[in-house]
Amino acid sequence: MSRTMAVARMQLINKWTYIGWPLTILAASFLMSLAIFALIPVQEGKYGGGSQAPMWYFLVLGIQSMTLVFPFSQGLSISRKAFYLGTLGLFSLIALGMTGLYLLGGVIEGATNGWGVYGYFFKIPWVTDGPWYSTAAFFFMVMMFMFIIGFWFATIFKRWGTTGTLISTLGTGLVLIGLAALSTLFQWWGVVGTWFAQQTPLSISGWAALLCVVLAAGSYATLRKATP
Amino acid sequence: MNETIVEARNLIKHYKDLNALENVNLTLSANRIYGLLGRNGAGKTTLMSILTAQAFATSGEALVFGASAYENDAVLSRICFIRESQKYPDDFQPQHAFRSAALFYKNWDQDFADRLAEDFQLPVKRRIKKLSRGQLSAVGVIIGLASRAELTFFDEPYLGLDAVARQLFYDRLVEDYAEHPRTIILSSHLIDEVANLLEHVVVIDRGRIIMDADAEEIRGSAVTVSGSAEKVDGFLAGRRILHRETLGSLASVTVDEALGSRERAEAAELGLELAPVSLQQLVVRKTMVRPDGAGSGSIAGEFADDTLEARR
Repeated sequence: MSRTMAVARMQLINKWTYIGWPLTILAASFLMSLAIFALIPVQEGKYGGGSQAPMWYFLVLGIQSMTLVFPFSQGLSISRKAFYLGTLGLFSLIALGMTGLYLLGGVIEGATNGWGVYGYFFKIPWVTDGPWYSTAAFFFMVMMFMFIIGFWFATIFKRWGTTGTLISTLGTGLVLIGLAALSTLFQWWGVVGTWFAQQTPLSISGWAALLCVVLAAGSYATLRKATP
Repeated sequence: MNETIVEARNLIKHYKDLNALENVNLTLSANRIYGLLGRNGAGKTTLMSILTAQAFATSGEALVFGASAYENDAVLSRICFIRESQKYPDDFQPQHAFRSAALFYKNWDQDFADRLAEDFQLPVKRRIKKLSRGQLSAVGVIIGLASRAELTFFDEPYLGLDAVARQLFYDRLVEDYAEHPRTIILSSHLIDEVANLLEHVVVIDRGRIIMDADAEEIRGSAVTVSGSAEKVDGFLAGRRILHRETLGSLASVTVDEALGSRERAEAAELGLELAPVSLQQLVVRKTMVRPDGAGSGSIAGEFADDTLEARR
């Protein structure tokens, strides 16, 4: 247990990786969005997608955890289990903190009429329409999903190299195309459309959580036999 | 005799098109300095990786402190193995790597690490990925030394280090080892440089252990006899010849045997010259000899004019 904690602490030794960069990216994206909002002379709600910027960094973070931090942890004789739990645990905390920040940003945004320029950075139509916990669940799960998907693909890469990554990426693509083809063939699109229309941010978070659990379990199984 | 801390039993590692380890059996005891010598690709890193559970054997057993190291914190916490191509987190500086090591090694000595960094003139606040090859090696060397792990592996630790820095490493290693005895495994192909440090030598060649003996035993275990070819050959008839060189009517022949005092006297009478064989020479010669019949049909003789890369 203490070694798991130490893995998390180790990755906070350089504060930039998990705290500095996400905040910098968020701040930069926020300021740019705000500047653009201010430049558009419209007196009604303006929405931008800038708040997703840190998410892409989390994808990179997930990849690097596996390609760089894992080999380093092996050099310090850290067990694969401690590395896995410590890293995923730390990221969950970071995602939780970021979610809090997004919620707070949304509250301020609402109270100041879109920062005085009718610009909405944290408020996203549909996503933030529901109660606060549904918004929170959605942001948190998206962040976790980005990190885990990066981690997962990097695990595949570490274990099975370029071929493995290619096969799993193409395989995923083929399965999706196959599903689309089946939907067309059997005229399921109406049902699929209705299903999606019925989803709420909360239920989407639930599905994402399920996918995250599957991918996280898969990563762990692969990691158990991965070499640095 | 000291307690056994590493035991490899019938270790085999097969990659798709390469047999990296062929039935390796090895026993290492506590508080000694071992040299793991061999050519590039001989299996040194593979063996160390398997012992530390960073990689997996195809079959066989690797016990460290009496148990497998795999996912075993009790064993792992006593091992340090920074590999030659060690990777570090993207944003890390050497100082971050040292602070990380401090979290995991209970005997970590930060003062020692600081002194070493100064000795090696390592910029501890520069990003690791911006460091030169030598500086990168220094980071690994410092972690290996300052962690004071009971079982420490150094994997070709001198790559890119200049002669002064290498000497510094050898000196610090010996000094610190004297004060804090532990088991050190030094993988190297710069054999002459490390020969004096080693207490025990393990030579691995193409995945097989071809020599496993105390350094004392090895010194003087082989000899080079030179003189007129006729006399040399007559004198050495029936002995295990490792290497033979001729120049005109002169021959210089290395035998894998020690000579007794009577034989030495006889050689002197015949006007033959005897010269000791350095550890490096011995390893080079032994590595280049192909045991007849053995070697599962592998390319024999093809490496005859190869030299150990260390001879630069």
